[in-house]
Amino acid sequence: MIRAEGVEKWYPNGFHALRGASLTVNRGEVVVIMGPSGSGKSTFIRTFNALEDFQKGSITVDGLALSNDVRQIDAIRREVGMVFQQFNLFPHLSVLENLTLAPVLVRKRPRAEVELQAMALLERVGIAEQAEKFPGQLSGGQQQRVAIARALCMEPRILLFDEPTSSLDPEMVREVLDVIQALAAEAITMVVVTHEVRFARQVAHRVVLMDEGVVVEQADPESFFTAPRHERTQRFLEQIL
Amino acid sequence: MGTPSFPAKRLPVAALLPLKRLRAQLAPTVADGLLSLGLLALIAWAAVQLGGWAIGRADWAVLQLNSMLLLVGRYPLAEQWRLWLLGALLAAQAGLSWGLLRAWPRADRREQGQLWPRHDRIAAVLITLLALLLPAALGLAGALQGRWWLLAAVLLALRWAAGRWGPGLHRRTLKLLGLLWPLLYLLGFWLIGGGLGLAAVAPGEWGGLLLTLVMASFAMALSFPLGVLLALGRRSNLPLLRWGSVAYIEFIRGAPLITLLFIGQNILGFLLPASISPDRVWRAAWVLTLFAAAYLAEAVRSGLAAVPRGQLEAARSLGLNQAQALVTVVIPQALRVALPTMVGQFIALVQDTTLLSLIGLLDLLGMARGIMANPEFLGHSSELYLVLAVLYWSCCAALGLGSRALERRLDPRSLAGRP
Ligand SMILES: Nc1ncnc2c1ncn2[C@@H]1O[C@H](COP(=O)(O)OP(=O)(O)OP(=O)(O)O)[C@@H](O)[C@H]1O
Ligand SMILES: [Mg+2]
Repeated sequence: MIRAEGVEKWYPNGFHALRGASLTVNRGEVVVIMGPSGSGKSTFIRTFNALEDFQKGSITVDGLALSNDVRQIDAIRREVGMVFQQFNLFPHLSVLENLTLAPVLVRKRPRAEVELQAMALLERVGIAEQAEKFPGQLSGGQQQRVAIARALCMEPRILLFDEPTSSLDPEMVREVLDVIQALAAEAITMVVVTHEVRFARQVAHRVVLMDEGVVVEQADPESFFTAPRHERTQRFLEQIL
Repeated sequence: MGTPSFPAKRLPVAALLPLKRLRAQLAPTVADGLLSLGLLALIAWAAVQLGGWAIGRADWAVLQLNSMLLLVGRYPLAEQWRLWLLGALLAAQAGLSWGLLRAWPRADRREQGQLWPRHDRIAAVLITLLALLLPAALGLAGALQGRWWLLAAVLLALRWAAGRWGPGLHRRTLKLLGLLWPLLYLLGFWLIGGGLGLAAVAPGEWGGLLLTLVMASFAMALSFPLGVLLALGRRSNLPLLRWGSVAYIEFIRGAPLITLLFIGQNILGFLLPASISPDRVWRAAWVLTLFAAAYLAEAVRSGLAAVPRGQLEAARSLGLNQAQALVTVVIPQALRVALPTMVGQFIALVQDTTLLSLIGLLDLLGMARGIMANPEFLGHSSELYLVLAVLYWSCCAALGLGSRALERRLDPRSLAGRP
């Protein structure tokens, strides 16, 4: 589904954030990316839906090569959903409108049909009764669940999560992870940047360690956490476990 | 007065009895009390002086004789029914909007669900008194007085009906009702200017308050989209567009309006052949519009800067293209932030229309100056200026009140109990 090879990125200020990062994600696979702060995890997954550009290397998403062609980028973004650390819900729209905006506008689907689907999705993430409220009236955990439902409403083939629980109070982390775990069981392709070890162990098919702009190690969760091969992975695990 | 610095020490003011409440508000300490007393005395003295002058020495004949001149200038008598009709439509629309905005559930729990909250009761009484007393005090003809009563009655009736039934309406219907304003706007220009089956009334014949309002509302309506485009241009990635917008905004903001108006009147007249150069009134209207757009652009720019980057990213990652993301996600939020500043600009614009009198147009101020120059009314400028002040103040206050109601309506926190 995603094939990134030797991706290098320099930020406009000259900072070399990605230094040849490579990763392949297969259909239906759940890949968890871990790594120290500033290692380029966010930058990397944001290149997958062209929120960040890159200067060297290549990325193919769902058979389409990422290039500067705006139409191509829009086509890829329609198929790739993203959930952000800060939720980024649209505060001036109700929960239901947050979900229906893109399917109606981008996919040109009839509103009534999209609303039915949106209500079903809200039901699934457990907040159907909040559909008419505004994002500012919900708790962080509820907002993040709305954000996930919003991404799902576009029926994407790939979901990207950038630290979906990092700005949540501890008691709300579980409810969001449960929703993501349920999605994983439905064989949706997912790339999740997170520091939640328990979640990675239970849900990931593969865990990836990034450091200083490159993918250092990838392995199934069991070997990743119990028998890391690289010294940098070992040091990272010592810090977080 | 009641400084919020030590709130914990005092009971909440609302919990006190009326007399004690008054004391708590006006005189929480001896020094505050003396200051309050002094101010009250000053206000009372000014009110007595003004009232004495208004009832005693002032001669209001100048207004009675010139009321239509001040309101509509030399607008042909036979066509004035169109203005009254427009007035009635405006009153209806204003009452409707007022009622709908007020009927909405609000964060302000105390007033929620009340048909006539306290401020609205005061406003309604004031409107009734003004409509009944002012035309009578001016000694207008009976038929004219009746028309003023009718306008007030239409306004209050629709305010009542909208407050009564508005909350039951579906959200889509409410959005459609919002479209009535632009419709009424176009209808207004047709009624005023004529054409399409109505006898044409040339802009040169519009005057007084009518001209002031036409100029201000024309400039407001057109400078708004222009300002948004300029603000977007200023943030654009295309260098030419960006520099062009910056140059335009800075040029306009660096020049006094009066020079721009003179440029518009004189130089444009030389440059363009008479056949295509617009009428003097329209030339001034365009200058006002282009002037206001530069200031609005700055207000919108600050609004755009206040919208977090993540909003655009979230919209783009859902597949919206740049234009869709701007129109549905970024601009609505930016405008909500910029609204108070923009209304400030609009209020300034209403006041700026007084400069039109300096280039020889007969707006409200120009008309009043014309009347003062008439030897028959010599020495009555105080009366006229007082009325002008009240009229300009009413226009600006109406804008301010409307915008505050809109702000509350657009604040997502205030939509808690929405159906
Ligand atoms: N817009 C930017 N301009 C310049 N440098 C940036 C920019 N955004 C990020 N960086 C730098 O790029 C590096 C990688 O950032 P990135 O956000 O991808 O890290 P991360 O692994 O997601 O870290 P975290 O766990 O803190 O989210 C960091 O050193 C950061 O300072
Ligand atoms: Mg990050």
